Amino acid sequence: MVLQQLVNALTLGAIYSLIALGYTLVYGILAMINFAHSEVLMLGAFAALGLATILPAAFGTGALGLGGMFVVSMLGAGLVNVIVERFAYRPLRHISRLAPLISAIGVSIVLQNAVFLWLSTQSLSFPQPVEIKQIPLGGGASVSSLQLVILGAALALMALLHFWVEKTKMGKAMRACADDITTAGLMGINADVVIAVTFFVGGALGGAAGVLYGMNYGSIKYNLGFLPGAKAFTAAVLGGIGNIRGAVLGGFILGGLEVLASGYIPNGAQWRDVIAFTVLILVLLVRPSGLLGEKLAEKV
Amino acid sequence: MIAFRRSAAATLALAAVLAAACGPKEKAVKIAVAVPLTGDMGTEGQGLWRGVELAVEEVNAAHRFAYRIKAVPFDDRADPKEAVNVANLIVSDPRIVAVIGPYNSGCAIPAGKVYARAPVAMISPAATNPEVTAQQLSPDWIGPKVIFRVVPTDDVQGEAAAKFAFTNLRKRRMALLHDKTPYGQGLAEQFRKTFESLGGKVVSADGISVGDKDFKALLTKIKGDDSRPEGIYFGGLYTEAGLLLKQMKELDMKAPFIFISGDGSKTPALFDVAGDAAEGAYLSIVGIPVEELPSAREFIANYKKRWTGSSEELKPFDHFGYEAAQIVFAALERLGAPDADGMMDREKMIDELRKTHYTGLLGLTTFDEKGDTLNKIITITKAHPKDRSFEGMH
Amino acid sequence: MSGLLRSRGTAWILIAAALALPFAAHAAEFPYLVRVGGIVGLFMLLGLGLNFTLGYVGLFDLGFIAFYAIGAYTTSIAMKAHVPAPAAILLAIAVTVFARLLLGISILRLRGDYLAVVTMGFGEIARLTINNMDWLTNGPKGMQVRPWRPLAFLAKDPNVQFYLLIVAAVLAGVAATRRLEDSRVGRAWVAIREDEVAARLSGIPVREYKLLAFTLSAVFAGLAGSLFALWEQFVTPESFVFWESVLVVSIVVLGGMGSISGVLLGALILAGVPPLMQATLSAEWINYRYLFFGLILVLVTLFRPQGLLPSSRREAELTS
Repeated sequence: MVLQQLVNALTLGAIYSLIALGYTLVYGILAMINFAHSEVLMLGAFAALGLATILPAAFGTGALGLGGMFVVSMLGAGLVNVIVERFAYRPLRHISRLAPLISAIGVSIVLQNAVFLWLSTQSLSFPQPVEIKQIPLGGGASVSSLQLVILGAALALMALLHFWVEKTKMGKAMRACADDITTAGLMGINADVVIAVTFFVGGALGGAAGVLYGMNYGSIKYNLGFLPGAKAFTAAVLGGIGNIRGAVLGGFILGGLEVLASGYIPNGAQWRDVIAFTVLILVLLVRPSGLLGEKLAEKV
Repeated sequence: MIAFRRSAAATLALAAVLAAACGPKEKAVKIAVAVPLTGDMGTEGQGLWRGVELAVEEVNAAHRFAYRIKAVPFDDRADPKEAVNVANLIVSDPRIVAVIGPYNSGCAIPAGKVYARAPVAMISPAATNPEVTAQQLSPDWIGPKVIFRVVPTDDVQGEAAAKFAFTNLRKRRMALLHDKTPYGQGLAEQFRKTFESLGGKVVSADGISVGDKDFKALLTKIKGDDSRPEGIYFGGLYTEAGLLLKQMKELDMKAPFIFISGDGSKTPALFDVAGDAAEGAYLSIVGIPVEELPSAREFIANYKKRWTGSSEELKPFDHFGYEAAQIVFAALERLGAPDADGMMDREKMIDELRKTHYTGLLGLTTFDEKGDTLNKIITITKAHPKDRSFEGMH
Repeated sequence: MSGLLRSRGTAWILIAAALALPFAAHAAEFPYLVRVGGIVGLFMLLGLGLNFTLGYVGLFDLGFIAFYAIGAYTTSIAMKAHVPAPAAILLAIAVTVFARLLLGISILRLRGDYLAVVTMGFGEIARLTINNMDWLTNGPKGMQVRPWRPLAFLAKDPNVQFYLLIVAAVLAGVAATRRLEDSRVGRAWVAIREDEVAARLSGIPVREYKLLAFTLSAVFAGLAGSLFALWEQFVTPESFVFWESVLVVSIVVLGGMGSISGVLLGALILAGVPPLMQATLSAEWINYRYLFFGLILVLVTLFRPQGLLPSSRREAELTS
């Protein structure tokens, strides 16, 4: 069973990591918890569902379906994040640190209620463009083709992000802004543009996570974002807020912890979240900047 | 700044005046529906509302009463504090003659106290915790007994499922799961009591949370449990039940390994979540399966005709809302005509409800002295996703 | 400007209005207002409490409602053990303060937003633990609380009785906060919020003062929790979800960090408008209540980012 639980943990961790990356990118550059990120990932899932519903023939199944869903969800979620940043956060950025947060909370409430009122009040089944085959791993364990796709997609996106942040000009600009936004501005970097791009990328990753989430669990609902969002944010902090590798590490550790609690501790399932948060608190007490340390602008 | 402060004060004052001015305006006899219309339980509450609205529309269209009946919605968001707010609002409207709701036991318990002080009759279509009605027997209870429910308490269903699993399906070792709500946990606890008293063994008991999606780790543990459970009993609702079924299939946990759950999972929406994985799942329900009663078939047909939206499918408790409304109508008939102002006597309503002897979708409903339904017929059904149906096992 | 609102005269008018509310509600045949008033009052208490932690010292606490829960449950358990209500209230405050002290000692060294996550985590830990400890708290089934009618001689309606108790608590809270605000401790807190390093360098015992602010918050939370439990006569874990902590944070920030009148106004709006909307909106619109609420939150923040009634010090800083 250990092998099976490992597969379970990796799949869960992959999704958490993607969502955590969205939080950490935004936090690294603005020191802001984007409370609306959980709704952005939900909207990404709904966008993909929308595509599959409107053009089922083309985008309901197969590789084209999968690709189409990712493109639509990532673009849609990214755009929503950028628009929200522009109108709900940017005017508040220089005024106080907590004001954008309250605004984000308001945006989160609006988005969730909007989907409830205008899209659907109930769960909607999510299309499965991937044919699900169970691949036995020996010892009674098996991994489904779907889980492989999820892991693969998540890892591919993380690798892409890494490449982009390390090797491209915009990525360099992002890192510069995360280090010290004022000096970056002095160096000629347009901070507003970089911030918008960061929000786009963070939102896109969230949207992709939304699609993976929908595929993994088979259905989506207006309030799907809240729980994974809160957990992924915890994972991001666990790894070191603002630290991209930290977010990935945190996501997988959280997935592992949850599997450990549900799978190996008697009666553990109901204590699962207590265990996860307790570990978080203990880790932060020992390493106050997270496991891999934070990467934030120093405010002395 | 002063301008803003003034306009803020003015707005607040206006709001207060509007609020105060909002009193009985229409001369209709009103039935309040207090359920979660938004928030995490919005799906279920909206369904209950639709059930009641359908009943009210039918009764008005048939001109069954000389006066008009109006269903008034109130949203408690499944938050106990909000349910008490709503209760306070409802009792201050004298045109409201009864309230259908709340949906959650956590809301029904505190709200019931407010309704008792008024007094206004309260019929819950879905709150299953025994304390909801039992609290009326406490020496601290203030007011008459006003609480009724058309749904049996948890003990009844859990017991029936345990007997079915032990006697009919010959299972001896079961794993227990519940969603840590009064409903789910109540069902599970009763299942365990009865199953163990019959000689069976509950090898493990775990709680999940409503809203959780990933049960792979938990199911893997159950699958690999040395005590070799022969099935899972789940106390909870269709969303989690559907996900459990789906993930069980992915982990290759299939027949003869069984899955039994309660009426919160017996809904076509289960198939949306679980798909083919739902095949063979056993679900207990109150009364005779809706599909087998002619009056019920009519209800389903009318419901589908009236509510055609994609998010308006029949949910597990909607017909309880409909039935509760019918029971209210039956009592209204016995009350006769309203007074000169068009208002009905609330206390007489409570008395008439106590005398209920109504046969409908759920079979025969009568109430005991606590207000609990004496209809304790439980049917076990088997799910068939291919035609989205539930087959009654008799 | 806000000077007018802070003047003695205005304070007395507001107190009179608060006391007159039950009579006005009775006259208008709208007793619901008293219920809303009580709820608003409880959130005023919570806001005043969180104000110490978040408003004065700037510690971002996302799990404050856990202490509301601890206060409520301690009272319920004490009442079940036949402890008389006033003693139960005091016990609840003591237990809440003690729990808060323990938490504070453990986590206050954490930096700003890590504190947010840890407090959020603790909030969830508290709620889930209460939900799981069936033997003590009855778990998800909730606990009944014995009735307590201390002001039965004044009014028959328990809503009115508890409303008056809550008003008294709020007034006491405001008075206590005012005292502390104007003292050396209060000024030290603001110094810590503005620049912790500078504060430490000027000799302020930062760690102790942070802990003091953190712990004082719990007095308010414990008191509010007790009153809530005694009023509702029923407690269940569902009443203490994360969202409520977020609401209290919003009240403090929206009202104006560190501003007493701001917190009170914030509570009035954020805790008062949704239930009033339930009473005033027609059937088709009541489902939109929270959509409107979210919009209000965003719009008010955009147009008054410094808060509705920011403290004069803050106003000066932000508009200079």
